[in-house]
Amino acid sequence: MGDDYRFIGKATQRRDAVEIVTGTALYLDDLRFQNLLHGKVLRSPHAHALIKKIDKSKAEALPGVKAVLTWQDIPDWKGGTPRKLRVLDKKVRYVGDAVALVAASTEEIAREALDLIEVEYQVLPAVLDMDSALKHGAPLIYDEFPGNIIPGGTIAFGPNCLKGVVMGDVEKGFAEADVIAEGTFGYENIPNALPPEPVGAVAMWEEPNKVTLWSTSQAPYMDKGTLFHVFNRQVEIRCIGNHVGGSFGTKIMCWQVQAYAVLLSRATGKPVKVMFTKEEHMAAFTLRIGSRIHARVGMKKDGTLTAIHGTWYVDSGYYSFTTQAQVAVGSGELMIMAQCPNWDLKNIIVATNRNASGSTRGFGGQELKCSFIPILSLAMEKAALDPFEVLKKNYVKPGGGYFWRDGNWYQYRGIDYSAAMDKGAEQFGWKEKWKGWLTPTAVNGTKRLGIGVGVHGNADVGEDSAEAYVQLDCNGTATIFLCAAEHGTGQKSNYAKLVAEVLQIPLDRISMTPADSLITPFEFGPVGSRGTYAIGSAVINAAEDVKRRLFEFVAPKLGAEPQDLETVDGVVFVKGYPEKSLKWRALGYDRTLLGHGRFEPDFTVCNCMMSFVEVEVDTETGKVTLLRVVLATDVGQIIDPQGLEGQLNGALGSAGIDSAIFEETILNHSTGHILNANLMDYKWRTFTELPAMEHVVLETPMPTHRFHAVGVGEVATSPGPSAVLMAVSNAVGSWLHEYPVTPDRVLRAIGKVGYSARGGKK
Amino acid sequence: MTANKSDRVTRETAATRHVGFTVNGQYHEFRVGSGGIEISPTHTLSWTLREVLGLMGTKVSCDSGACGSCTVIMDGKAVLSCKVLTIECDGKTITTIEGLRDPKTGALDPIQQSFIDHTAFQCGYCTPGMIMTAKAFLNENPQPTEEEIKDALSGNFCRCISHYQVIRAVMSVVEKEGEHGR
Amino acid sequence: MKQFEHHDALSIEEAVALLSDYEGKAKIIAGGTDLLGALRDEVFLEYPEALINIKTIDGLDYIRSDEKGLAIGAMAGLADIVKSPVVKKEYQMLAEAAYSVATPQIRNMATIGGNLAQDVRCWFYRYPRRIGGPMVCLRKGGKFCSALAGDNRYHSIFGAAALSDISLDLGKVRKGCFAVGPSDIAVALIAMDASIVTTKRSLPAELFFKATALSSTVLDSDELVKEIEIPKLPMGAVQRYDKFTLRKPIDFAVVSVASMLTLNNGVCEDARIVLGAVAPEPVRARKAEQVMKGRIVDEDVALEAAEHALAGSSPLRMNEYKVEIAKVLVKHAIWG
Ligand SMILES: Cc1cc2nc3c(=O)[nH]c(=O)nc-3n(C[C@@H](O)[C@@H](O)[C@H](O)COP(=O)(O)OP(=O)(O)OC[C@H]3O[C@@H](n4cnc5c(N)ncnc54)[C@H](O)[C@@H]3O)c2cc1C
Ligand code: FES
Ligand code: FES
Repeated sequence: MGDDYRFIGKATQRRDAVEIVTGTALYLDDLRFQNLLHGKVLRSPHAHALIKKIDKSKAEALPGVKAVLTWQDIPDWKGGTPRKLRVLDKKVRYVGDAVALVAASTEEIAREALDLIEVEYQVLPAVLDMDSALKHGAPLIYDEFPGNIIPGGTIAFGPNCLKGVVMGDVEKGFAEADVIAEGTFGYENIPNALPPEPVGAVAMWEEPNKVTLWSTSQAPYMDKGTLFHVFNRQVEIRCIGNHVGGSFGTKIMCWQVQAYAVLLSRATGKPVKVMFTKEEHMAAFTLRIGSRIHARVGMKKDGTLTAIHGTWYVDSGYYSFTTQAQVAVGSGELMIMAQCPNWDLKNIIVATNRNASGSTRGFGGQELKCSFIPILSLAMEKAALDPFEVLKKNYVKPGGGYFWRDGNWYQYRGIDYSAAMDKGAEQFGWKEKWKGWLTPTAVNGTKRLGIGVGVHGNADVGEDSAEAYVQLDCNGTATIFLCAAEHGTGQKSNYAKLVAEVLQIPLDRISMTPADSLITPFEFGPVGSRGTYAIGSAVINAAEDVKRRLFEFVAPKLGAEPQDLETVDGVVFVKGYPEKSLKWRALGYDRTLLGHGRFEPDFTVCNCMMSFVEVEVDTETGKVTLLRVVLATDVGQIIDPQGLEGQLNGALGSAGIDSAIFEETILNHSTGHILNANLMDYKWRTFTELPAMEHVVLETPMPTHRFHAVGVGEVATSPGPSAVLMAVSNAVGSWLHEYPVTPDRVLRAIGKVGYSARGGKK
Repeated sequence: MTANKSDRVTRETAATRHVGFTVNGQYHEFRVGSGGIEISPTHTLSWTLREVLGLMGTKVSCDSGACGSCTVIMDGKAVLSCKVLTIECDGKTITTIEGLRDPKTGALDPIQQSFIDHTAFQCGYCTPGMIMTAKAFLNENPQPTEEEIKDALSGNFCRCISHYQVIRAVMSVVEKEGEHGR
Repeated sequence: MKQFEHHDALSIEEAVALLSDYEGKAKIIAGGTDLLGALRDEVFLEYPEALINIKTIDGLDYIRSDEKGLAIGAMAGLADIVKSPVVKKEYQMLAEAAYSVATPQIRNMATIGGNLAQDVRCWFYRYPRRIGGPMVCLRKGGKFCSALAGDNRYHSIFGAAALSDISLDLGKVRKGCFAVGPSDIAVALIAMDASIVTTKRSLPAELFFKATALSSTVLDSDELVKEIEIPKLPMGAVQRYDKFTLRKPIDFAVVSVASMLTLNNGVCEDARIVLGAVAPEPVRARKAEQVMKGRIVDEDVALEAAEHALAGSSPLRMNEYKVEIAKVLVKHAIWG
């Protein structure tokens, strides 16, 4: 559609394809280092305790042990928002919290040394959930956070960081409403995005204050910034990225494992690797945030929203780093999907004695929507409205707007996504299948079918600055200098495509530097949905910049003006006069040209994803089967069809749709242990249980992007969970309001099982 | 402890036990012990492949038998190298992802090529295990149905959800083989 | 993994001798799919000093059938059992049970002997040492089963296994261990009235799987499973193995039911119905079997039998749903 491109939109081989299929793609654990030591972490058995005494003498005496560090041995390095959490502290705050670090010549010795460290704890009462954390007189996890409430706002988003949404007059809004729904609903199963590769880092310290880090992070430049503050702005940091075995937004923040490796390297003078095991990854690395909302929603008979009023309770676990940012982005995202003149939506971030929450695909918005849409559903039911129509109606349209993370109001200047939604509904057969609220689409004996719909969109397609260089060489090649590690989205290959398109040279003429903060300019990281729009634009700008320089250099030699020139396959010629040409070789063997590209944040556009799901519920056993998923979106311009397909299919993984079906992190409510920190008890979708998956992808050119594209990969997961809840409720004919809808809950909803201690509070 | 035991135990240790097996066509022999290049009884095959033989293509994700990313082919069968003790591999023939290319021409295995053609991966971490599982399966059953392929791959974790593209990649190899057969 | 010694046994006798040499401090390794996980996570109260490999013993992996029935060597692989033509044809319940285990790769490695002797899968018991574990449950020297106060959605609905082998009084014991028997194959074997032949004895499967809070079987520490014998099944017996899980494959059963019904013109002549994952050991639904005998099998009989099968259950705080699912599975076992 639109322009006829040479590379963009064509199926091309991923740049790293051969490496991946031959096992030669190098992930962190595949890198080899001379004299490498192995680091391990001793972890707390208590959810909340003070360390009274640590005796590490036996561990230190074990042959092969090079360092044992406790909170007493390390500098006052701190992370979190606000920066209050020490890398090792004299207090432990969840089961699995780091107590001591060991470096040894082998992993086995390091592990053995952990057993030799003797720790005496003074166990403190713990608060394992928001209810107990917020109780009057509850034990405090941090002295600095009275009531276990973590202050909102993050300086990363500026002094006016969005902390809630207040506008208009909610009382007036409710007065205008035809229906009002109210309730308290949660998305509190803290699922895990769970990339296959565990998190880890290798650090090499150089006295007095330099460190080089290789990590599983996909955002090396961001790490450099994060760690700079963690290390009290006293350490010079170089971060190098490699292949990342999946991230789904989680690995942008690996500060703890990075700090462990750095501390151990600093203590030993040797490179140290700390690689989490899968169970550490699952029990001591970040989860989704826990989300609960108490709200009232006012709506007119035609589905127009009149008021939204309530409080969003956000369970951040034992600390927060990105939670405030997620609250800001999530609140803005709610405004994008629920255009409404009157708002009063506050939020409270709560600390609890469980493993921390952090960044995950869907970044706050998924979590908020999963709790909010059930209330909206009650309103739609009262007004007997079709949810598809209501969601479509209230999604932001040109002329609409929203507050975004920096607290500013943005007038939306993207496209109207209604067309994509309509197309999706048509493909799904929504109109034929929709039979009304709490009404199954079909009943076959004990099996009932139900449908649901959800929507999500994100204005961080254009978040944060990005920079890139593109360098031209006289031999007709180009090199992209960009700090992006490939984590599965195929974006690195897409950037090469963008440059190839601008410079009109074959893809194999383009190389990329490693993601190395010493070599490349600033890049925030492939997070949110910014890969295509923000980073892509920086890359395009760099390519355009170097092309301009090339033309300026060549123009006098061709006796033409730069703007009259064109280049194809390493030859510059005068438009319309192909014979008046010069090869790039004319630059001379002793010259390269460097273009600089920068992207300035722009929050005026957003993407959109609508999910339609159909489920079958077995009313005898309570089992929910996902039969079909249709995802509808508009990407402006497809860059890589196969890459896009993969990203959209990803809706099923990374704590997306399945977080409504069987995914959950199971926290033992009596002790705080995570009981399913393994790949058997944490459920994930297998090859034998794949639903039919269909994509409806429109390409309505986006005016703001050079190639008219907008990224959608991130948002594929987010509309799914609430759609499933809706579908299951419709199938069984009564409301299910807890995630995931496991058989026990379904059987309880249909009255076959009475009391259940699980999620049975409400 | 009885005298018997020490007899039996000495019988084994005194004769310095060796373990030898073939990986990707090359025979390796190790002495059992706890020294640098020796094989400790506790070493798993995935560890030996990666840390001793430097074959980093075999990925370890869960290290607990639950994800399939460490799958290699041993005596024709897909097995989980994180749940095999190296010391028990004596006499075995093992193929890892590094051994799939044609040793003479260096050409990719048709499954590898098909994974590329279908972009049957995103992060690629699960890919070596997927390919090895599919390879062992197609060796045994060259003309499977789509359902059979799904079943064969049902123990392989892929969090990026490359499943649909993987199925297409494997099916396309099956279809091509079928054409050659005709 | 922590260090252990390792021996390749060349005969059953040698394996037994090695086991007794180590005085209970050695473990057999067959396929290793269960054992190596338990060693890695250091779940045993006492870490073994040695592993005795029995893969080096020749001739233990047979699947033989004759007019008396089926004999399976302890080292027969689960994948081979699934594929065996005779098992598929005449003992399909076993093929189904074996197929329901874990994943294709694990079935390529795992043995039937190991499946029967595997350790329980309770998440308190198996809680990994390295993230603040172990959880000191009853099996680890604690006073109580952690499932009593903790998340017990997958635990027993028929009471606990006592610490010592005083006979299990279903539904009554509250002090023991609430972990459920893990083996899928055990459930099928009891339904087929199989016998387990060990190096010390031969006994009906039902008596072999007698659970205490320390073990799911009666195996002594120096005893090996040698063979599984399944009598020829009655002509026309309707067999079925049904396993409920949140997703397939990989998962251990939430509830499973193995059943064998002998019908004559729709009249039930004999029935064996065994429930798995509902108690520390497989539970034979004797009352349910009795109410069916001599009656024409229809939906009402099936419903009645299902009620009887679960009559003695006493679910814990979070697992009442298992009762309901078990009833459904029993009903389907009898009536489609
Ligand atoms: C991801 C995963 C999923 C699983 N899912 C299931 C499932 O759904 N259903 C199920 O039933 N199991 C399941 N399992 C358990 C699986 O390990 C067993 O089913 C398997 O059959 C064990 O056999 P093995 O030969 O590997 O035993 P091993 O691990 O070698 O041994 C297990 C135990 O049995 C003992 N043992 C082995 N052989 C003998 C013998 N001949 N005599 C006496 N003792 C012996 C060993 O000492 C050890 O204690 C799963 C395991 C994993 C890792
Ligand atoms: S790493 Fe071996 S199965 Fe997961
Ligand atoms: S491609 Fe990432 S896990 Fe499969």
